[in-house]
Amino acid sequence: MNFKRKLLALVALTMALSMVMLSGIASGQGAVKNQDTMVVQSFGGPGTLDPSFSYDTASSGAFLWTIYETLIFFSGSRTDLYVPMLATEVPSIANGGISRDGRTYTFKIRQGVKFHDGSPMTAADVKYSLMRFMLLDPPGGPAWILLSAVLGLDVETTRDDNDKLIPDIWDRTNRAIQVKGNNVVITLKDPFGPFLNIMATWSIVVSKRFVVANGGWDGAKATLAKYNGLPNEDQYTLFDKASGTGPFKLDSWDRKTNTVVLVRNDSYWRAPAKLRRVVLQTVEEFGPRRLALQNGDADYIAVDRADQLAVTGIPGVSLVDDLPILSTDAFFFQLALNAQGNRNIGSGRLDGNGIPPNFFSDIHVRRGFAHLFDRDRFVREALRGKGTVAHGPIPKGVLGYNPKGQWYELSRDKAIAEFREAWGGQVWERGFKFTLLYNAGNISRQTAAQMLKEAAESINPKFQIDVQGVPWATYLPQYRGRQLPLYVLGWIADFADPHNFAQPFLSSNGAFTGRQGYKNADADRLIEAAARETDPKKRAALYAQIEEIAFRDIPTLYTAHGVRLVVKRSWVRGWYHNPMFFVGFGYLYSQSKQ
Amino acid sequence: MTVLRVPINRSLPLRAVPVLLVVALVVAAVISVSPEVRARVVSRPLDVVAFLVVVIAIVAFWSIPSDLAKRLKRNPLSITGFTIIALFVIVATLAPVLAPPTSRDPYLIPHEGFAPDPQPPRAGHPLGTTGRQFDIFYGIVWGTRTSFRVALFVVAISTTVGLILGSVAGYYGGRLDEIVMRVTDIFLAFPGLVLAVVVTAVLGKGLDKVMIAIAIVGWPTYARLLRGEILSVKQRDYVEAARAMGGGDLRIIFRHVIPNSIYPFLVVAAFDMGVVVLVAAALSFLGLGAEFGYADWGQLINMSRSWILGVPGNPFIYWYTVVFPGTVIFLFVLGWNLLGDAFRDILDPRLRGQT
Amino acid sequence: MTAFVGRRLILLPVVAFGVTVLIFALLQFLSPDQRASLYVTDPRQFDRIDSIIRAHGLDKPVHIQYWNWLKELAHGNFGWSKTASMRVSEAIGAFFPNTLELTIYMFIPIILIGLWLGTKAAVHRDRFADHFSRFFAISLRGLPSFVWGLIVLMLFYGWLNWFPPGRLSLDADLYVRSDQFRTYTRLLTVDALLNGQVWIFLDALRHMAGPILTLVLVEMALLVRITRSSMLEVLRQDYVRTARAKGLAESVVIMKHARRNALIPVITLSSLLFVGLLGGVVLAETIFNYPGIGKWGAEAAVQLDVPAVTGFGMFIALVTVLGNLAADILYAAVDPRIRVQ
Repeated sequence: MNFKRKLLALVALTMALSMVMLSGIASGQGAVKNQDTMVVQSFGGPGTLDPSFSYDTASSGAFLWTIYETLIFFSGSRTDLYVPMLATEVPSIANGGISRDGRTYTFKIRQGVKFHDGSPMTAADVKYSLMRFMLLDPPGGPAWILLSAVLGLDVETTRDDNDKLIPDIWDRTNRAIQVKGNNVVITLKDPFGPFLNIMATWSIVVSKRFVVANGGWDGAKATLAKYNGLPNEDQYTLFDKASGTGPFKLDSWDRKTNTVVLVRNDSYWRAPAKLRRVVLQTVEEFGPRRLALQNGDADYIAVDRADQLAVTGIPGVSLVDDLPILSTDAFFFQLALNAQGNRNIGSGRLDGNGIPPNFFSDIHVRRGFAHLFDRDRFVREALRGKGTVAHGPIPKGVLGYNPKGQWYELSRDKAIAEFREAWGGQVWERGFKFTLLYNAGNISRQTAAQMLKEAAESINPKFQIDVQGVPWATYLPQYRGRQLPLYVLGWIADFADPHNFAQPFLSSNGAFTGRQGYKNADADRLIEAAARETDPKKRAALYAQIEEIAFRDIPTLYTAHGVRLVVKRSWVRGWYHNPMFFVGFGYLYSQSKQ
Repeated sequence: MTVLRVPINRSLPLRAVPVLLVVALVVAAVISVSPEVRARVVSRPLDVVAFLVVVIAIVAFWSIPSDLAKRLKRNPLSITGFTIIALFVIVATLAPVLAPPTSRDPYLIPHEGFAPDPQPPRAGHPLGTTGRQFDIFYGIVWGTRTSFRVALFVVAISTTVGLILGSVAGYYGGRLDEIVMRVTDIFLAFPGLVLAVVVTAVLGKGLDKVMIAIAIVGWPTYARLLRGEILSVKQRDYVEAARAMGGGDLRIIFRHVIPNSIYPFLVVAAFDMGVVVLVAAALSFLGLGAEFGYADWGQLINMSRSWILGVPGNPFIYWYTVVFPGTVIFLFVLGWNLLGDAFRDILDPRLRGQT
Repeated sequence: MTAFVGRRLILLPVVAFGVTVLIFALLQFLSPDQRASLYVTDPRQFDRIDSIIRAHGLDKPVHIQYWNWLKELAHGNFGWSKTASMRVSEAIGAFFPNTLELTIYMFIPIILIGLWLGTKAAVHRDRFADHFSRFFAISLRGLPSFVWGLIVLMLFYGWLNWFPPGRLSLDADLYVRSDQFRTYTRLLTVDALLNGQVWIFLDALRHMAGPILTLVLVEMALLVRITRSSMLEVLRQDYVRTARAKGLAESVVIMKHARRNALIPVITLSSLLFVGLLGGVVLAETIFNYPGIGKWGAEAAVQLDVPAVTGFGMFIALVTVLGNLAADILYAAVDPRIRVQ
């Protein structure tokens, strides 16, 4: 009985304690926490701070326009209008910055700008930075963006098929980028419409002196091979150190907690930033992130669409929604499946228990699916109505986007009619069975797959689709082996130009189409012509034709263009959105806390 | 040592008859009252038969006076454990009747629409629906089958492997023993959950992979346990005697050594039945569980992860997404733990003399 | 005794390398494409997969990869962990002290509460105290630990704002990273005290309280059970009966005669528990965003970060073997029967 008494005492003590605790809650709301410090919590933190290696939004978002700056910058929320940054003016044909033939761009480099290490920024630094970005070229890195823009669309890497450095790649780059006094003159192999747009994001200027002092590449041809194509992040000099020109300096990157701390650059070339410090924290779980926001410990947090309700209505927190980002999600049809060892296509024949490898090469099958998929409902339910129904690859906010683009009407009857025509009527008669894969963890893609499956199975009981979520490590090899009959993926812009969408989605060597087995000579011709064209009006017309092909041939069933949800404390001032910002917290230079 | 070899009175005692009668009456009453229930029952005769067999087996076990049942009944916690597990067995056998499947694969939880937020209990969805509108009741009922399947598979595989390797190592000793023990050392030196994660990540997603992963992690414990027991039993007189009489190795192992070393083994197995479900839930948390929408408790509780913290100003609005799956997992683990405890107290000869 | 310890020490490399062989053997199931998935995370890298595979040597047969790994290891290079953005050796050095610290703090309440409840249960066998302690302990074990973790997080961070997640608060973190703070042991609370910074010590404790509370709740059950059965056995022994017969007070019998002897197996199992806790912290570390080795290990395993998993496994294996060895030595020291043998 002694035990019972002790227990009772314990319970009483706990109760008393909790009363005390609860009475203490009321305090602490209202005042701005960490006045001069902006705290951002997101999942998936940076993996490197080296601009030549970084090719993911978390890494690039940490340093771009905070530590490092670009020659030109986006004007406000526009993606097609620029303001000077490290260049003193935006090149145009009118001011002589762009040559008449559209191949030569002259950037007048701003004088009096200092790197964080105190050295002045010169035109030579700019040239070095561009060459470093293009030529270090880590496997799977971003170098191709500038390589193909400057050296011609077919140049996407600095190495040949045997991973050997191409001997004259340095010379070609060195010739293309010239320093003339305080100007940097870039001569493109072919005129390239998106070039300025690319420069607004990818012309990241680093200090040559700093890189060399830390044992990095000195810019010479002879030493390039030693630095080119190294596989690991820490083999790149600027992996965890930085000397840029931006409004914030890198204070530390604690990789243990994956926290990046930036401090104000007091000798910034404009007025110093209002914030004294920026802390970018990585918190993988949503729960602690949300509570940190609620308690004012974080000013911005990343929120998945599914968790939106959990941050709605917190006092002192504001949600900004419907912010366009340049992305396109879609179902991809595999027109030429690899049947070998393929477990996704059942019997491999059109006998009701499988599909033949060329099942989707019949356009009626593809059109049938297009008539079935309820894109409005997808946006409404899976994306909470936040998103734009897609009529083609080009998203809202990019030249060539057509809000009234034509698409297949949602109609059971029309779908049935198409399926009846497919494969001489055999599809409708015998039915089919295949597996639709998505990469596990992506809820909106999972929902899209489920919706398509249910729609198809509802029109004919002989239609069978198994939906399967698989980890990335299972997905990728099957994708590469052309074993996925129908799959869901998405694309986010590298630069805000229709070329960055038309090319992967429709060109016969595009990132997607290259594997789908789709080829249309007209599309290829138009894409190349549109890329070389510099007149926006003519380009828009060309992209209209390209979208027309995307509709008619339908190698890909477009679902939606994404929008971003930004969740922040209401005391944040000076925030704005641009579709090309990699991260929700936007441009920190202009921001402060009330 | 022959704990279970107490003479059993094989005549069905009269006490069991009324219990069976009451069960039959209740079932009959429910069936006759509700036409919907009747339709379900009639459409699934096999499941109903299975259900009746299970009920009879449980009642028989409880009523036939055996040493085991007698000792089980002495402790209220043991009775609780037995009752809980018996109820889960009944739910599992009756799953198609309780929650009639609607799609090709009965283990896929039906859903109505794709709305991202959970919806409270209502007609047709007695326990509410999760985010993406999966029916919680259906998930729990069919998840019972999943849980038994996973737990039984894992425990069966790991006990079998553990039994074979453990008894071989323990009985033969020498180099064989050394090798087997070093292998178990290696497996035990790796944190179980992380090893399970590696195996699942290598094999790919899916419940079958999860089962294999947990079994791979689980067997060394059994092997070591059995080996230790065998080492002590091996020296006993009756084994020596059997050997002296020219009994073959296999015969000695199976007839004399294992039966006398098996009890601690069974106790651990009972505990493990509950633990497996928790490990599967943990894997689900790390994103390596069953297929999305598959009737699996681990997945259900994992789906409620964001809602445990509640919604600002209304912390308990989505309580049903947490409470129902949480309760069944809790009861399942509790049931097996209590049963395991009961087994140990009953079977451990060192504690038997005590009351 | 020396021979025994020596034999166990020989075992050390066997087990450690056995773990690495195990991991590489598991990898036999993976194609180079699958392994490349760690480095290829975006459709725009799809064209480059071949060169990525070659750059990381993923297309070589597994035994060659293992050999290369061993060669690198001979130079003290465990490889590069993509998930931690660190060398594997750096990552272990960064994460392990955090987890060790967490484990030490969590160990104390588990032992105290476990012993108390376990003794109560044994002494009052089959009575209320027994049922209550067992039920209590089992109940806490009855939910996945992440559920408890989220509940603790909600109560103590969301409502009370007492125990925030993470490692340190902003100010403390900046101070620790500055030159004013010297690192001695890498155990943050110890270093804070050595630096004479009590506020950092308290701040670190505050951040550890959440995971500690969660794991104490979950892991206590095992110790309650062990203590109970160990006590039951001891209480039956002749010397306890003798002590009772002598007319000693029941509390003296239990505390002095019974419990002390019952502690022997508890000690061994506690040290095993200590090692077990190192593996059990994965979910708590994840939920409380605590930069520990378990969180990293699990993340690396999920993403198939092979060098990380291998290095992690090898290191934990070493710790486990050493921990078991310590337990055995302790056991021998406490129990005279073993010493004689």
